[in-house]
Amino acid sequence: MSCNTSVTRVQLPPAVDQVPRVPVHLMPCEIEHDGPAQVSQYLTATTKDCKQEKTVSFRGRGLKGQELSCPQGYTGLVLKEINKPGSDQEDRTVKLTSTFDKLTYWNLETPTNSDDTVVMAMDWPELAEAIHGPVED
Amino acid sequence: MATKKKRTLSAQNDSWVVIAPDSVVDTQKHDSDPSFVRLRNPLTDEASLYMLGSGDVQLFEVKAFEEDFHSWFVGQTVQRDGRLLFITPMDPLYLILPYLIKSGKEGKFQPVDQVVMDEEFPACSRLLSCTHSLASLRHIAEEKEVANLKFHRYSQEKTMDWLKKKVERTVAALKKRHISVGEGVKSSTYVRVKSEPDHNEEDYLRYAHGLISEYISEDLSKDLLRHLKLPELTSPKETEPPSKKRKLSDTPVEAGEDYTKFNSADFVRKPPKKMTSAQKTLAKVDKTGMKPMSSFFSPKAKAEKK
Repeated sequence: MSCNTSVTRVQLPPAVDQVPRVPVHLMPCEIEHDGPAQVSQYLTATTKDCKQEKTVSFRGRGLKGQELSCPQGYTGLVLKEINKPGSDQEDRTVKLTSTFDKLTYWNLETPTNSDDTVVMAMDWPELAEAIHGPVED
Repeated sequence: MATKKKRTLSAQNDSWVVIAPDSVVDTQKHDSDPSFVRLRNPLTDEASLYMLGSGDVQLFEVKAFEEDFHSWFVGQTVQRDGRLLFITPMDPLYLILPYLIKSGKEGKFQPVDQVVMDEEFPACSRLLSCTHSLASLRHIAEEKEVANLKFHRYSQEKTMDWLKKKVERTVAALKKRHISVGEGVKSSTYVRVKSEPDHNEEDYLRYAHGLISEYISEDLSKDLLRHLKLPELTSPKETEPPSKKRKLSDTPVEAGEDYTKFNSADFVRKPPKKMTSAQKTLAKVDKTGMKPMSSFFSPKAKAEKK
C-alpha cells in the first residue's frame, strides 16, 4: 500500500533538442537481452527500401517493415531509470535519454498493413482527446 | 519457466519507450518536472499509474500498447520489453468524481478540498490543481458560494448530462476517424472491403459508451446506459453472428462495427487480468494498472490470439 505514495520523477534536460534523436525499431520477436547491439551494422545496413516497404533478413527470417510517424503534437521518448532506490517506498527518477519522431515496425513475413495493431494504436491520442477534452455547456 | 522469465524481465527492465504530447517535454514552460503518480482508478478502485505535468496543471493517462513477442532496438541497443507506452491528456474529473459521489451520500454541501482526500493515495489532492478541475466541477456537482467559499454536492443528474456529452464527443471522433481510415489508407494487400455505410447510431453509441466506461464505476456505467436509452445487452456474444466476426478480422479499423464487444462481460473482466501481468513486469516502476491498448483495437488483436 505504502508504495502508492511514491512518485517517479521525469528528469528533463534544459532543452529537449539537446537529447539525441535515435532510430527505433519495433521487432516482431522477443530478444532476451538488454544492452548494446550492433543495430546499424546488421539491421540498418542490410535493409532494402522498396517503395513504401522495407525488407530485411534478420536471423534468417524475412521481415517486412514500415516507418510510422508519431501522431501530430506527440514526440517519442526513451526514459531510463537512474539511481534505483532500494525500497518501493522511495521516490524514483527516470531520465529522458533520447527522442524519436518516427519508428520502424517490423512484421515477420507478413506485409505491413494499415490494420496492424501498432498502426491503429497511433489513433489512440485522437480518441483520447474526444474522451478527455472539455465538454461545452 | 514462464514465471522465471518474468522475474528476470522485471529485474532488468529500466528503460521505456514512450509516446507523449510535446507539452510534456516542453521545458520552456516548465518550472518543475513532470512525475508519474499512482491514483485510484475509478473503474477498478485500485492503483493505476498516471502522470501529472509540470506544476500539476495537466493530468495524463498512461497506457501500454503491448503485443506478445516484441522487443525494441533503440539506437544501438536492444531493449527486451517491447511495450509502447502512450501518455495522453486526461480529464481529471473522472478521478475526482468517485470522491464526490462518496461524500454526496451524506447529502451535504462540502468544500471540495475536504472531499478529494485519500490516505492511500495522497497525490489525489493534486488533481484539484489541474487547470480545469475547479471550473469543471459544475458538470458533476451543485455549487454554493458562501462568503467567497465554494461548496459542492454531487449531482447524479448533472453527471449523467456531462457523461452523455462525453459520449457524443466520442461518437463524433469515431465517425471522423472512420472516414479518414476509409479513405487515406496505404493498404496494399487487402482489397478494401466496400465501406459499410450503415454503422448505425446505436453501434456508435455503444462503442463510445464502452470507451467512457473505462473511466467510471460499473454502477455509473449502467446508469449511463439507461440515460442514453440503450437497452442492456444480456448476452452480447450471441447477438453477434459468427460470420460477421470473421469479416472483421479482414477489415481495417472500420471493423468498428464490433462495438458491442466493449460491453460484453468478457471485456469488463479482461482488463484486470491483464493488469496483473502488467503489475508483475512493471513492479519496478509502479506502472501497475496500465491497461494494454490493444483492447481498444480489438478486432486484429483478437484475431491474432486465436
